[in-house]
Amino acid sequence: MKIPATGRPDELQYAGSATGYDEVYGNQTQARQHWHYLLDALKTLGSEGIRERQLKAERIFRDDGATYNPGASDSPQSWQLDPVPVLLQSEEWALIESGLLERAELFNLILKDIYGKRELIRHGVLPPELVFGHGGFLRACQGLSLPGEHQLVLHSTDMVRDSNGEMIIIGDRTQSPSGAGYALENRTVMSRVLPSLFRDSHVHRLSLFFQSLRMKLNTLASQITSERPRIVVLTPGAYSETYFEHAYLANYLGYPLVQGSDLLVSRGYLYMKSLGGLERVDVVLRRVDDSFCDPVELRGDSRLGVPGLLDVVRSGRVIVVNPLGAGFLENPALLRYLPQVSQHFLGRELRLRTAPTYWCGDPQDLAYVQAHLDSLVIKSVSHKRGHHAIFGLQLNTQQRQELALKIQRDPVNFVAQVYIQPSNTPSWLNPQLVPRPAVLRSFAVASNSSYSVMPGGLTRIGTGNGSMSLSNHMGAISKDTWILASEPEKQVSLLSNARVTAAASVKPHVAFPCRVVENLYWMGRYAERAESALRLLRTVFIQLNSFDYMPEQTRLLLRTVTELTATFPGFTVVDPKLQQQPEAELLSVILDSNRAGSISANLYSLLHCTDQIKEMMSSDTQRVVNDLRDGLSGLRDALKPGLNSAPEEALDPLVTTLLALAGLWQESMVRALGWRFMDMGRRVEKALQSIRLIRSSLVPVLAEQQQFQILEAILLNSESLITFRRRQYDGSGMMQGLDLLIFDRSNPRSVFYQIELLREHLTELPISAHGLGLTDEDRMLLEASTAIQLSSPEKLSAENLTTATRPELEQLLSRIQHLLETTSAQISNKYFDQVKVHNQLVRTDWDGEL
Amino acid sequence: MIYRVRHITHYEYEKPVSLSYNRAYLLPRDTTYQRCVSSSINISPSDTVGQERCDYFGNRAYFFSLERPHSELLIDISSDIRIQESKYGLEGKLNFGQGITCSQALLALQQGRDTALLDAREFVMDSPMVMSSDGLRNYAATSFYPDRPLLAAVRELNQRIHSDFTYDPESTSIATPLAEVLLKRRGVCQDFAQLAIGCLRSLGFPARYVSGYLETFPPPGQKKLVGSDASHAWFSVYIPGEGWFEFDPTNNNMPAEHHITTAWGRDYADVSPLSGVFFDGGKSQKLKVSVDVSRIETDLTQWNNTIQLTGL
Repeated sequence: MKIPATGRPDELQYAGSATGYDEVYGNQTQARQHWHYLLDALKTLGSEGIRERQLKAERIFRDDGATYNPGASDSPQSWQLDPVPVLLQSEEWALIESGLLERAELFNLILKDIYGKRELIRHGVLPPELVFGHGGFLRACQGLSLPGEHQLVLHSTDMVRDSNGEMIIIGDRTQSPSGAGYALENRTVMSRVLPSLFRDSHVHRLSLFFQSLRMKLNTLASQITSERPRIVVLTPGAYSETYFEHAYLANYLGYPLVQGSDLLVSRGYLYMKSLGGLERVDVVLRRVDDSFCDPVELRGDSRLGVPGLLDVVRSGRVIVVNPLGAGFLENPALLRYLPQVSQHFLGRELRLRTAPTYWCGDPQDLAYVQAHLDSLVIKSVSHKRGHHAIFGLQLNTQQRQELALKIQRDPVNFVAQVYIQPSNTPSWLNPQLVPRPAVLRSFAVASNSSYSVMPGGLTRIGTGNGSMSLSNHMGAISKDTWILASEPEKQVSLLSNARVTAAASVKPHVAFPCRVVENLYWMGRYAERAESALRLLRTVFIQLNSFDYMPEQTRLLLRTVTELTATFPGFTVVDPKLQQQPEAELLSVILDSNRAGSISANLYSLLHCTDQIKEMMSSDTQRVVNDLRDGLSGLRDALKPGLNSAPEEALDPLVTTLLALAGLWQESMVRALGWRFMDMGRRVEKALQSIRLIRSSLVPVLAEQQQFQILEAILLNSESLITFRRRQYDGSGMMQGLDLLIFDRSNPRSVFYQIELLREHLTELPISAHGLGLTDEDRMLLEASTAIQLSSPEKLSAENLTTATRPELEQLLSRIQHLLETTSAQISNKYFDQVKVHNQLVRTDWDGEL
Repeated sequence: MIYRVRHITHYEYEKPVSLSYNRAYLLPRDTTYQRCVSSSINISPSDTVGQERCDYFGNRAYFFSLERPHSELLIDISSDIRIQESKYGLEGKLNFGQGITCSQALLALQQGRDTALLDAREFVMDSPMVMSSDGLRNYAATSFYPDRPLLAAVRELNQRIHSDFTYDPESTSIATPLAEVLLKRRGVCQDFAQLAIGCLRSLGFPARYVSGYLETFPPPGQKKLVGSDASHAWFSVYIPGEGWFEFDPTNNNMPAEHHITTAWGRDYADVSPLSGVFFDGGKSQKLKVSVDVSRIETDLTQWNNTIQLTGL
């Protein structure tokens, strides 16, 4: 460390915890050896230095789009990382790891038994009510079985260190454990913001865990296919709590990220709806809860699953990981009987202890719990949204009585656990290190003969507000967890790996669902639509404030605003007041996101599309998207009336950001199908916007001077004014103007240019998607292209003096507009899956209870 | 005796359904007293993919999907079922004055360790459509006192439901909650079965839902109409040490040779005859169901023509 100390040294003197166990000091007064290096380094860095690193970390998370959505209605929060890692020595970790392996094996045996012979019930180890009464026990999953030894592929636990320094497990996650991806992102960021500290600390790497996961999924896939395995990650969607992680993992592992509606069961197999047809799927790594996975056999009201999935699983034609039904293992009442279960299966108790747990379905336990409510943590047997653990200690007498009554009425559904006061670990609270309680989530994945455990995991710390619950849902902050190796490790990463085993090196299919393609297409369209509206409004603002303000052409331009954005009636109504005071209406066209066609509405739609394809975006793109989001939310302030003498300037940054986005797409997107559809969207929209603009502003014939001004304004709007001025023109310049705007094949903003590019894109589509020969969409574009070529600027600029219009211009453009709109509709019918919502044959109101 | 049951379900959709996935519980299972000799399934449109599965409760679930647009769906299932002679007149063979008492039964359920008892405890627990309640417990309690044989108590409950409740197909739908049935004292066979199950569970006894068919007879002198039968439902109670006993509260008897079992579960939701999801199809659909229960072979020498079973 060569960074000079800037903070006062005593600020960074970590004092440890007043009570309980401390990760640095244990129960002693001397800092433990393995913390020395880190604490010294932090002192050297100084509080300024740490603050700086923290800001850098925040910036990276933002650029990566790392978010956590605590609730459907809230806007996503940026992922929070404390820059001070938790340290564990590898000797200690080795013991924890072997305990976790043993626990994963045991949970695997329980899962096998519960959906098999149920010996645990028949031998009196588990009370029947504990199994039969739990919502996670899915009868439809009876007899399901994965190839290989392990039914349970992924197993996670939450653990805390108690006051004696012993790690105690307080719960398990077995459906679709979240956090592994966040742990990886934390690690990536830590190694970037504290590179030398990270390097010198010899931290065990995380990549092996993910490699084991890939290997396991490939091995499973190889049981049902001899071809390249097709593995997908199933997410509940862009608005789920941990969507960032789903996208991140899908990318890291190299699997398509799909939603339920991207998948289809057909003739007994599972398929992904991709462009050009159905792709068979062999393995689904799911992040959707058990009961939501199949509306035919599980919750009928679920829109997140795939109808018929369970029966495909049953016939062994697809493998779902973790297997459906595994949610039963999250039943905390199980922990009450874990010692007996362990004796039954393994002949010994588990090495890693579990927090003492009571199940109120047992009369003796119930009596104990009622008598000791104040020292226990009360949990519901099922993890339902909004059901949080209740800390008896924090209740007043009345609340405690109410809780006691609730438990008494429905004892089977309540579990109580002894509260384990978690150890404290040094955490950054600008400008000092303070003790914060920590809980560690571990991750294990089945490998050939056993399980592999991620070295470390995801640590979450309390915020110091006295809340005893340490979940992200409750606003906890995360930490990287470093297992310190005595020797530096060899680098293994999926992203840059040289040595991978045979199974892991099998390349998965690279295809993506057509939902993604559709979002790319619309992303292109919305971006163009927003850009052209922004440009026009900029022009209008300049015009309104210009010294040679001319009412006639302003009226025309305002009308064009309405026509271009389709925010009718707007300025199409003849209203002198509106013409004199157009600001309010113009601001509404910009800011009113509830108004279809407004700039805000288009930009929000664009952002919605980018949310849907998060996994396809590079971090550069993500950064630009973030800028767009910021620009959009700052727009209202920037446009506050009176604040800004030149409102057009407030629109500049957004135009620039959209151009940056277009530039990135052009420069750094691989010319694959995704890009092609994105660009098709842009071309369709660009052409349509140009046509609307010209039809509205140049079809009417104006007096010569005004006509010229309007033409220049439109050319400026289309970034063609400089070219126009450089070229020789005669008279009104209308002919040359129309030539540039419509015919010029060298002008990337001309209508003809867009149509030719569209035609080219269509010819480049794979035959499987496009079909052989000329298709309807080809024919329509061919007609549009020919119509332009057969026409000429002279013809189009011809004026009809009685109507004061250019009828040829109007006729050609309205035809082309129609052709383009039909083409776009055809593209979306043909290439994109029209996502439909299914109906239940018989409405089942009781589903919520299943 | 061998019955042939023909069960035809016909859906007509407002607009074509593009895709549908279904689960049917329409194939009769084997039980102690019956064997399904053969079944045939005809589904139209015929281009379907189907698969029979043995479910968690040992029932025969039939999964099928329709992957081409169709405006009508016809499911025509015909099964031949042999009813064992041991089931004939079952109720008359039982001695209701003897057997395990209510209090002994509860104790056995609490302490018993044998597999059948442990498994039966699943049917004491709440299920999606049947939840224990004070109301149900209060209604049932008068028939259950500690030293009364459980079987006799259940028979009385069965009789009371039959006399206290009115059979009224207009009063309820499949989603009518039990509390409402109890309040209005009206319902259909499925409501009465679930009501009885709820009563028994509220008192701590295991009870399950049985779906099936019932042979019906036309009024004297009239010819039986084709398609006039219907699917039926009743319940079964577990008597510790003795096994499962079926009761039909709709007809105030114990199912015997005229009852044919299709499937059983915790309640209707586990074994609903047809469930699933479909895409498109418009807003409304027309459903027609026709059921025929006919004898294709009678081995009873004397047939009691005076029995008249009505209402389901």
